[in-house]
Amino acid sequence: MSPALRSELLKLRTTRTTVGTLAAMAGVVLLAMALHSLGLPKDKLVSTADQRKVFLDVGSNMGMAFAALLGAMAVTIEVRYGTIRPTLLATPRRSRVVVSKMWTALGVGLLCGSIAAGVATSAGTLFLRVRGLDVDVSGGQYFELVVGGALAGALWATIGLGVGAIVRSQVPAVVGLFVWILFVENVLIAGVPSVGKYSPGALGRALAGQQVDAVASWPAALLALVTVAGAAVCAALAATTTRDFT
Amino acid sequence: MSTTAVVEITSLTKRYGEVVAIDDISFSLPAGSITGFLGPNGAGKTTTLRILLGLADADSGTAIVGGRRYRDLDEPARWVGAVLESNDFHPGRSGRDHLRVIVAAAGIDPRRVDEVLDLVGLSDAHHRPVKTYSLGMRQRLGLAAALLGEPRVLVLDEPTNGLDPSGTHWLRRVLRAFADDGGTVLVSSHQLAEVAQSVDHVIVIGRGRVLADAPLAELAGSRGTLEDAYLDLTAGVGS
Repeated sequence: MSPALRSELLKLRTTRTTVGTLAAMAGVVLLAMALHSLGLPKDKLVSTADQRKVFLDVGSNMGMAFAALLGAMAVTIEVRYGTIRPTLLATPRRSRVVVSKMWTALGVGLLCGSIAAGVATSAGTLFLRVRGLDVDVSGGQYFELVVGGALAGALWATIGLGVGAIVRSQVPAVVGLFVWILFVENVLIAGVPSVGKYSPGALGRALAGQQVDAVASWPAALLALVTVAGAAVCAALAATTTRDFT
Repeated sequence: MSTTAVVEITSLTKRYGEVVAIDDISFSLPAGSITGFLGPNGAGKTTTLRILLGLADADSGTAIVGGRRYRDLDEPARWVGAVLESNDFHPGRSGRDHLRVIVAAAGIDPRRVDEVLDLVGLSDAHHRPVKTYSLGMRQRLGLAAALLGEPRVLVLDEPTNGLDPSGTHWLRRVLRAFADDGGTVLVSSHQLAEVAQSVDHVIVIGRGRVLADAPLAELAGSRGTLEDAYLDLTAGVGS
């Protein structure tokens, strides 16, 4: 393990930011699942497809959004508190810092996506049963929701890293990412479906098993989202290695 | 004092749009000396330090430490320890963990954490979040971080801000001992009385240009006191 990566992992463990954000996300997912599972009319929750859609909409979207948030904060928190200066003094070859942050973002994003999908599916299943509904989601579909959600979270965390490295300022980066995931993509998918289905959020949901907006296949969605995430990391490298830190 | 230059700044120029922050600055720092880096606000001191430390790029010229650019040093923490801001800490991270993060990144022996905490007098507060530290304690923690790699050069920007008189006296002794052991110190400061008591050499810049580069005794002696010399040199180039 490189010194820069060891340092990045230590940063994650020595503040409450990561654990606090993951706990907040789990709470938001739980609340959203309660509202959806207990609040929607029963006739919209009877079919397997409807049940999967609720699990996926909440679990996958929240997993991606919070993963992107944590990815962005890997840079914006350092800029906000000035710790980017000691970081770059200890590791002046900036590409090493970005690559280390990419690995930690992938790990944290994986955790984020799997927790969001896990909480959404388990809590959703419980709430639906409480309402007296049969849950017909298969084991394979649960697996796809959690594993696909985890993959989407990992890749979205690197997208967040790219946005954080470019924007640097915490509030605009975080607000921009949430607005994109929760609003802009939905408008794009509804208004221009042929384009919207290739948006990063739709690709993430395709990985978690959503069919309606997905690209042709799961591997194609994975390849497309890996490409977007790779472009985000390249942007992070360019923004970090060519701009001054004042 | 050795005459071998450890830090060499040569024809350094940096512009921000139309504003020339530093304009063809050159100076060098020999081993075993403490140099005061003086100038009004906006003179270009901080920009010079950031270019020296690889945080900003010059438009032209070079800033060299130990014969190489800072970014090209194999073990930068063993060459330079720096404190640029008194508040470069995550408020929720403990003082000890702040140092552990740097030790991990720089590949330094972890035992140095306890050694530098003891050196700067923070052993009793090491576990507390930095947000509970006073400004003086933060200055000490910054200095502890700078000393982790047992560097040959210390670069300090306003290190006495927030230090009480005994803290200032302590810092003066630490820096003198560091220089007496062959280390090189560059201290940027506005506190001329303190500078006059602690440095061997003075560089004054204004509007991005070097206005004076001379031993303290020579500069102060020519005009009575360091303050008189500084005010003469910077008259009309203030912030």
